[in-house]
Amino acid sequence: MRVPVPIPDIKIRASEHLRCHPSKAKDMVKIDLPKERLENWKEVMLKKMAEVLDKYRSVKLFLDICVKCGACADKCQFFLGTGDPKNMPVARADLLRKVYKRYFTLGGKVWGRVNEAGELNEAVLQEWFTYFYQCSECRRCSIFCPYGIDTAEITMAAREIMAAAGVATKYVTEVVAKVYDAGNNLGIWPAAWRYNCAFLEEDLKETEGVDIKFPVDEVGAEVLLIPPSADNFVNTNTMIGYAKMFHAAGISWTTSTYCNEGGNFGLFLNYTNLKKTNNRILEAARQLRVKKIYWGE
Amino acid sequence: MVTIFIFILMPYICLGIFLLGVGMRFWLWIRTPVPLRIVTTPAPKTRYGMIWRLIGDLLWFPNLFKSDKLLWVAGLLFHLALWIVLLRHLRYFFFPVPKWVEEIQTLGLYTGYIIPLPLVFLLVRRLIIEQVLYISILGDYFALFLLLIITLTGILLQLFFRTYVIDVKALILALIHFQPQIPKVHWLFTVHFISVMALLIYFPLGKLMHAGGLLLSPTRYQRANFREPSVNPWDYPVSYNAENLSTPEKYAQTLSGTGGGGKE
Repeated sequence: MRVPVPIPDIKIRASEHLRCHPSKAKDMVKIDLPKERLENWKEVMLKKMAEVLDKYRSVKLFLDICVKCGACADKCQFFLGTGDPKNMPVARADLLRKVYKRYFTLGGKVWGRVNEAGELNEAVLQEWFTYFYQCSECRRCSIFCPYGIDTAEITMAAREIMAAAGVATKYVTEVVAKVYDAGNNLGIWPAAWRYNCAFLEEDLKETEGVDIKFPVDEVGAEVLLIPPSADNFVNTNTMIGYAKMFHAAGISWTTSTYCNEGGNFGLFLNYTNLKKTNNRILEAARQLRVKKIYWGE
Repeated sequence: MVTIFIFILMPYICLGIFLLGVGMRFWLWIRTPVPLRIVTTPAPKTRYGMIWRLIGDLLWFPNLFKSDKLLWVAGLLFHLALWIVLLRHLRYFFFPVPKWVEEIQTLGLYTGYIIPLPLVFLLVRRLIIEQVLYISILGDYFALFLLLIITLTGILLQLFFRTYVIDVKALILALIHFQPQIPKVHWLFTVHFISVMALLIYFPLGKLMHAGGLLLSPTRYQRANFREPSVNPWDYPVSYNAENLSTPEKYAQTLSGTGGGGKE
């Protein structure tokens, strides 16, 4: 039987203290972002916001057409879990919407009170940093919105705007920086990847007595496998499963030390890093001259 | 002087603002590119399927049905009633009145009586559900109040302070033929008329633009045709910097056995 989730009462600022660690300069340098928050962050963010609004119809439209019906309010797991009203998708989008109205719409400039427009200032930026990183971009709200308003698009826009001024979280920037150094989110270096694969080969021979290969960087293989990097490191049974499956099917396959990660943390940062991380898959496939890409994750 | 302003100047100004504003908003949306596929699944694969889904979204709000049944009933009731009553008002704009407008007069009359019910429900809902109260802004109440004033004055004019319909029609037709004149009407009609004009001005400025925005909403109008190539109009090349250890060039060196390829 399905038990409905009780809708929590509003608890103002209930999850305000749950904040991500700020990014570190050493990671920001690697992903082409400012080392730390810029002196003129406000101008940079407003400029970036204008750019984002010109590039994504989704962001502009979703900020414009929300009628505040509240249909999405009790659909977000972050709101159901914390009860913090700013975790309702509509209220989360409002954090960006207020600034958008103040600087980019006639309605907000002419009639700021009725359309609830708001300045971009330190307090607002702190709220952005808190609540736009309390969204997992699962898009559940877009399924329930009568206009298909997708808060993930708004969250992504806000994170892109913040990143342009050097405001980002350590977790995301660290992971993306690792991808550009090691090829995967966990930071498994090529040598370690090769060693792990050789170890699994030996392990399989010892325990099950079968000779199954874990090819790495084999040019000309038929399939490039992009596993989650954790499969080589902690969930090794999954990795063994891939190898057995390819072995049984008789397909030549390979993993790549250039790209052995299907998860893309660029999604949580900005378009440039999203594209850069995704391009690694294509680049690896091109250089290995494979015919197909099998993509886990 | 005031009546000249209300009945002769304002209608043109308001209609001008409405048309210009709505056109402007649509133009701003349409000229903004849609770089990525972000359709909410399950989505139709064909263009016809997409059109049907959009028509469905416009007419009976299936997403709202999934999320909030009571709100769905109220929303649907209000929007349907609003359309019928608007169509009924066409009798003031045509001479002679088209047959189909004549035929919906009775239906429109009774529909008009129930219009304030969903409006009051929406207002009460905003005030008593604390989540909705939290997200409501002044503009939300403003739109509801304006619509309530318009509908209530309309009903009062129909039931108790009956306006001479010929006068109203003369006013509208005169406006249409650019020979505006000041009518002799009850003050309630003036209230009705002014609030409609206020709504016309507010329409393009605030959230009421949701009416057309749905048609351009990327999550609704896109299709699940992910295997067809899609082009991002503003795409740009990306490159690695000197700090990055794992780059395409270094990987090529690793594959050809000439070293490189990050930390070994």
